[in-house]
Amino acid sequence: MQLSKRGLLASLAIGALVAATPAQAQVTLKVWSIDGVDRPGIADVYAKEFDDANEDVVIEYRAVPFDEIVNETLRAFATGNAPDIVSFDNPDFALFSSRGAMLDITDRVANSEIVSKAEYFEGPLNSVTWEGKLYGLPKYTDTIGIFYNKDLFAAAGLTEPPTTWEQVADYAEKLTDPANNVYGITFSARAGEEGTFQFLPIIQMSGGGADKVNTEGAAKVLDIWKGLIDNGYASRDVLSLGQWDSTGVFNSGNAAMAISGPWEIDRMVEDAQFDWGVALLPTIEEGDERSSALGGFNWGIMANTAHPDEAFRLLEYYVSQEDRIFTEFGNLPARGDIALPVTGIEKKDAALTVFQEQLQYAQPRGPHPEWQKISKAIYDAEQQALTGQMSSMDALNQAQTTIDGIFN
Amino acid sequence: MSRFFSGLRDGVGFDILLVGAALLFLLALAGAPLVYNVLMSFQQVDMFTLGALFRPFVGVDNYVAVVQQPEFWLVTRNTLVFVFGSMAGQFVLGFALALFFAQNFPGASTIRGLFLVSWVMPGLVVGGIWSFILAGDYGVLNVILKALGIIDANVFWKSDPNFSIWAVIIANIWLGLAFNMLLLSVGLAAISRDLYEAAELDGANAFQRFWTITMPMMRPTIGAVLSLGLIGTLQQFDLFPALTEGGPANTSNVAGYWSWQLSFQLYDFAKGATVSVMMFLLVLVASVVYVRSTRHEVRG
Repeated sequence: MQLSKRGLLASLAIGALVAATPAQAQVTLKVWSIDGVDRPGIADVYAKEFDDANEDVVIEYRAVPFDEIVNETLRAFATGNAPDIVSFDNPDFALFSSRGAMLDITDRVANSEIVSKAEYFEGPLNSVTWEGKLYGLPKYTDTIGIFYNKDLFAAAGLTEPPTTWEQVADYAEKLTDPANNVYGITFSARAGEEGTFQFLPIIQMSGGGADKVNTEGAAKVLDIWKGLIDNGYASRDVLSLGQWDSTGVFNSGNAAMAISGPWEIDRMVEDAQFDWGVALLPTIEEGDERSSALGGFNWGIMANTAHPDEAFRLLEYYVSQEDRIFTEFGNLPARGDIALPVTGIEKKDAALTVFQEQLQYAQPRGPHPEWQKISKAIYDAEQQALTGQMSSMDALNQAQTTIDGIFN
Repeated sequence: MSRFFSGLRDGVGFDILLVGAALLFLLALAGAPLVYNVLMSFQQVDMFTLGALFRPFVGVDNYVAVVQQPEFWLVTRNTLVFVFGSMAGQFVLGFALALFFAQNFPGASTIRGLFLVSWVMPGLVVGGIWSFILAGDYGVLNVILKALGIIDANVFWKSDPNFSIWAVIIANIWLGLAFNMLLLSVGLAAISRDLYEAAELDGANAFQRFWTITMPMMRPTIGAVLSLGLIGTLQQFDLFPALTEGGPANTSNVAGYWSWQLSFQLYDFAKGATVSVMMFLLVLVASVVYVRSTRHEVRG
């Protein structure tokens, strides 16, 4: 009796296994990304396509909110439940790649017929590289430039967008119109990654970088920005507004210029009831070195995956579909060999041309395993200077002390 | 054996069972995390040891590092301002409202019930609403203050370092007001009417009645309200991400939010744990003071 009961259970279990698996042996890949939380994105849509097209691979896709993906993955990695493929914001990538949590794919990429390392822009590629080895691939990229309201410019007698920060201050003064609730410019100096995202390019333009922030040039531009706020050419709320809200002020016609990126274009085409354009991020002096922020996400295979071959096949599939990501999701490919299609919307096409040029100057944040601490030192210094709690140079010096402690 | 079971149903065994269950619950869900947290504050933690219990021991290095952070003293000052500002506001206004509704005018209990709406609202929602109200350029509060002629230019509540911590305090007072009022109302209702009548017959005026009857009779309630207020304020988190994110330049950052930032934004779990241990010591001191001050109390 006992025996036959056990036999029955065993046959039931085998039956269940057979029912769950088609003839071939299947491999399950876990993919985590922020896509699909509020709307479909690259990761979830193409994962499903790959799943449908490949009988031998099952994709378990999980959409994780932006604020949680690093923490979730850290926890999962520590407890041995990490996904096979994950997508991080580019400054977060080094936290994992530097400690061997990501699979080294240098050789796989070199041997791949689909992925060509040479086609990627330098900035995005740096963010997936650690000590000369490739630990991931850029998923898409973005950067920032300066949007300007052509109607307000014409009304103020201005024709060309500003090219230096001094010019920005000069134009902002002319464009500010308190009677009509118009600020000269809006940007984001928020206490968070967005603050660093917009301010680090200034440090880079001045010859510095994440490891050297107390430059004369950066202090000079901070003083200009402080002047913008103190004189009322920019709202004091740039210190708490994120980029999306800050650009909303521009779209409603309440700011004549805005520092922001290509992710704003579609909304701007719809919302802005005026003629607008985009220019490259201004430099410190005329003809000085350019820089801009590098945004966007990266792909990586986690080091403890049991199926590196299948995971890399999926990665190749994502790469092979990159000519579709702009038309379907509005994301810019991080590669030079994909020509963006003309949309027919004049302002949008003009803006994209500028952002494509700007991308050549975009520099990554880091890569550094403790990027978040460096970033906090930078945005804290920016806020201290802009609120007048410290002089620009003192604030940057203090940040430098913190950063030296991280680098050494 | 049967005696053992009957003891479980009825007798000392049953008592031990009940106490044991509660004790086990406390040890597992409050004691263990606390010990783990303290342990973590003396260790070096990184992503590979995140799930481990035994990690490299670093002594008081984390504590030294936290105190040496440039923002440490600013955060300490803000925490004290936030805690005492919020508690004072919540308590004084809550007490005033409780006394007001104790007058039993028509509709008093209904309106008092409506005040509880603020207490059932999630902190993030409250933060979102106050974020609109306190916005600099188009905020409702600025419009009202300007119309009343109190201010000439907009006050940037969330972005001005002189006001940022107060922006969070204002929202927190609103959030905790109803809870304070409710507890104090219960205390007021428990005071016998006879006392007031007798005092009135003896010719005590309203102020004297408040000072010699209400206040002494309310002491245990006030002690409880203040200690709960301290705990509630120290653990306040939702309002910070919704309003200021601790900015500008940490001028509205407090220990609780900083601890979260260190752990979950900067991924420095050891320092995050260290800050929370420091907070725990603060609460411990406060609760010792509270327990001592109410120990010899004669409860009415």
